[in-house]
Amino acid sequence: MAAVSTVSALQAALAAEDAAIFGYGVAGAHLAGSTQSAAEQYWTGHNEARDALAAMISKLGTTPVAPRAFYQLPFPVQDAASAMALAAYLEDGVTRAYLGLVAVSDIRLRTFGALAMQGPAERAAFWRGTTQAFPGLSASALLLSRPSSASS
Amino acid sequence: MLLASATALPVLLATAGCRSSEAFTGPDPLAGRPRPSPEVITLQAAIAAEQTMIQLYKTAIDGNSVTARSRRLQPLLAQHEQHLVQLRARLVIPPGTPEAQGSPTTSPGAASTAPVRVTTARLRAAERASAASMVQRLATVEPALAQLFASIAASDATHAMALGG
Repeated sequence: MAAVSTVSALQAALAAEDAAIFGYGVAGAHLAGSTQSAAEQYWTGHNEARDALAAMISKLGTTPVAPRAFYQLPFPVQDAASAMALAAYLEDGVTRAYLGLVAVSDIRLRTFGALAMQGPAERAAFWRGTTQAFPGLSASALLLSRPSSASS
Repeated sequence: MLLASATALPVLLATAGCRSSEAFTGPDPLAGRPRPSPEVITLQAAIAAEQTMIQLYKTAIDGNSVTARSRRLQPLLAQHEQHLVQLRARLVIPPGTPEAQGSPTTSPGAASTAPVRVTTARLRAAERASAASMVQRLATVEPALAQLFASIAASDATHAMALGG
């Protein structure tokens, strides 16, 4: 596995948070009651995380990546069901991004990434209604079978 | 000169060459199994912990798959079994070792310490503790394994949430 740059991993997490902030704005418009309250709460949380990541990146002497003016949605969002699916999709993206931080060599940032990904993983499970065995991990990262025993 | 060399030789061996000579008089470097690396020990601990979690869920379900509680727990148990498959897949067991010969690998004392009745609160606490342990373990392992540990920890956190935590 190639070494992961700390700054690039932080920038990727920041980009994911920006995408989530945009997406929740779209999703929230199609939600009501407790789900809309949840979306507002999570939107606020993503804003706070975005600010924290931007500060970390600035501290490293790099300009934080700017949010885009528009993000292409993965599918049309027309009702509460598609809004909740979008919210789960966004949280999956944030989970993946923080998992990327776990691959850096700095142990403090690894731990930060591992803890930070638990929140979006929980929120994704909330929106989806089901939990997952490997949040954030791509199918290609999973081994299909045991490697053969090493020969002596 | 020869005499000087003859008398100087033991001195030279005693100072400059002593480490080399001890290599051939010390213990056989090929005798017995080499000690596992710290990363292997960490992975083995994670496997044992996952096996304990699985046993806890099986005890909680207690062979009764028809209740609403069991139906809620079954998917979480299935995910822990997937965790175990992936953890084991990363452990290469040398041939000729007890594990390679199919000996039981459950954590010691796991069956004897499993309570008769496992409450949802007990499962929730176990999930939270497991998530915390996996995060601690990932600090010193190689990146790909660290990401697996972090993903499993996140899964455990979602389980705790699903159990009402």
